[in-house]
Amino acid sequence: MRELVTMWRDTRMIMLVAVVAAVYVALLIPFAGFVIIPGITAVRPGNVIPVIFGLMFGPAAAWGSAIGNLINDIFAGQFGPGSAFGFVGNFFFGLLGYKLWGNLGPLSSGVEPDFRERPVRQFVEFALVAVAASAVCAAIIAWGLELLGLFPFSVLGTIIFLNNTIAALILGPPLLYLTYPRIKSMGLLYPDLLHADDLPETGATRAQTAAVGLLLVAIAWVVVGIAVSLGLQDVPFAADQAETLGEGGATLQIILGAIAFLIVLGLTAISGERLSKLLG
Amino acid sequence: MSASPSLYVDRETVLHRLNARSKLALITGVFVAAYVFGDPRWVFVPLAATFLALVAVGGWPNFKRLSFIVVALFLIGFAVWPAFTHGGGATLLETPLGTLTEREVLFALGRSERIAAFIVGGLLFVTTTSNEEIVAGMRSLGLPYAFCFAVGTALRLFPTFLGSANTVRQAQAARGHEPGGRNPVTLLRSYIPLMIPVFMTAIRNVQTQAMALEARGFDTRGERSFYNEQPFTAADWATAGFGVALAVGSVALRLQGYGTV
Repeated sequence: MRELVTMWRDTRMIMLVAVVAAVYVALLIPFAGFVIIPGITAVRPGNVIPVIFGLMFGPAAAWGSAIGNLINDIFAGQFGPGSAFGFVGNFFFGLLGYKLWGNLGPLSSGVEPDFRERPVRQFVEFALVAVAASAVCAAIIAWGLELLGLFPFSVLGTIIFLNNTIAALILGPPLLYLTYPRIKSMGLLYPDLLHADDLPETGATRAQTAAVGLLLVAIAWVVVGIAVSLGLQDVPFAADQAETLGEGGATLQIILGAIAFLIVLGLTAISGERLSKLLG
Repeated sequence: MSASPSLYVDRETVLHRLNARSKLALITGVFVAAYVFGDPRWVFVPLAATFLALVAVGGWPNFKRLSFIVVALFLIGFAVWPAFTHGGGATLLETPLGTLTEREVLFALGRSERIAAFIVGGLLFVTTTSNEEIVAGMRSLGLPYAFCFAVGTALRLFPTFLGSANTVRQAQAARGHEPGGRNPVTLLRSYIPLMIPVFMTAIRNVQTQAMALEARGFDTRGERSFYNEQPFTAADWATAGFGVALAVGSVALRLQGYGTV
């Protein structure tokens, strides 16, 4: 977790934060008109950015995604109290990629995310990373808007999760295949830029436990959150929109979300990274 | 968005001369006023005020650059928002698919105006505040310098990348590639040839810009001074005070039940 602070000492990492944020905005704004919930979210193919740049630029992508989403909120008319949760959600959207890659035990491919060696195993690992990152982002934002009493968890949780996952799964592998080797040869991968002592020093077992924990908690949070809305909170699936706007604020969702968020924070704090070792 | 990359318009207006912090307070007040009210007549006030101010400070070209987003969001929002509220008042339209009531129209118009007010407000801020002023303003609010620098640089770079995306799209179209397709997967994948050149141009800039910054003594750890530091004048205090009063007054009026549909 220390690298999230120490990366701000490196000029190239700071520039990467700005570039990731700017590219993210540049890919989100043209699609702002493809509205799903007006003033809340739209179709976002740019959601592939936090996942693939998270794998390559690590902490810089986490900060860049958060800043980029905030700028997009302002210029796409989606700015509001929920933007604070959008900032945190997109921060974790970019963060989980480099925390999970290589640390998922038997589910990991054991190679760099370039889709050249063991492509099928890499796709499985990439899919798990994309699903976990999308789920944690969706859950944080949906929980935040539930907390603010704006929308039930099930509505935003489902939309954001699918929006994020579909973009990342379709666009992620070909984009990584085409860009990863070039960026690696430029020496801009995060293990090349961060000092060795800035990278988290975590034992293999602890890193694996934290990564698998993050994967499971992220998926469980979004699934349980939606299930609670649909069952205990009695929010019908695909309900009339007029029934759901301004219907957030369920105590059970708020408590469950707070517990899940603390677990995610704790696991992130003890998690490691693997790409620096894969690079040798 | 392919003409001048920057959204800042260098003019000598009252808003340009204000400190970035007082402009932030003013914009926050406008955003709160646009957010708390639902009645389109009430939301129209902050929207019209920011739009007139934007035109007055020379921001019309910036508005034109983003007008397709504003118009699209306004129209789509106007069409979709009625589904997000209950009917009420007189029935304005009756079709076999459903009815459109006066309350639904007012609700939709208010929400669409709110979205437009946010975009115009954000544009007004970046039109009158240079990148250096944004960074210095955020820094004086106590945010870490490196973070402020990254936000300021992202604000400066994103119009450039939007412009590059448009250039790449035209170049690809000249070679016969047009993104499209009925299948969503095919449609998404057709954007890959557009995304790669934009990514690589953006990332290639990182090395050169980092070297240029370091050559000029860029250091995030030391204390910094800013060229052309703007003082916080009486006009800034008055503007910031107006922004705070606008925010507090709007919330108070809303709590009294004004401005709702």
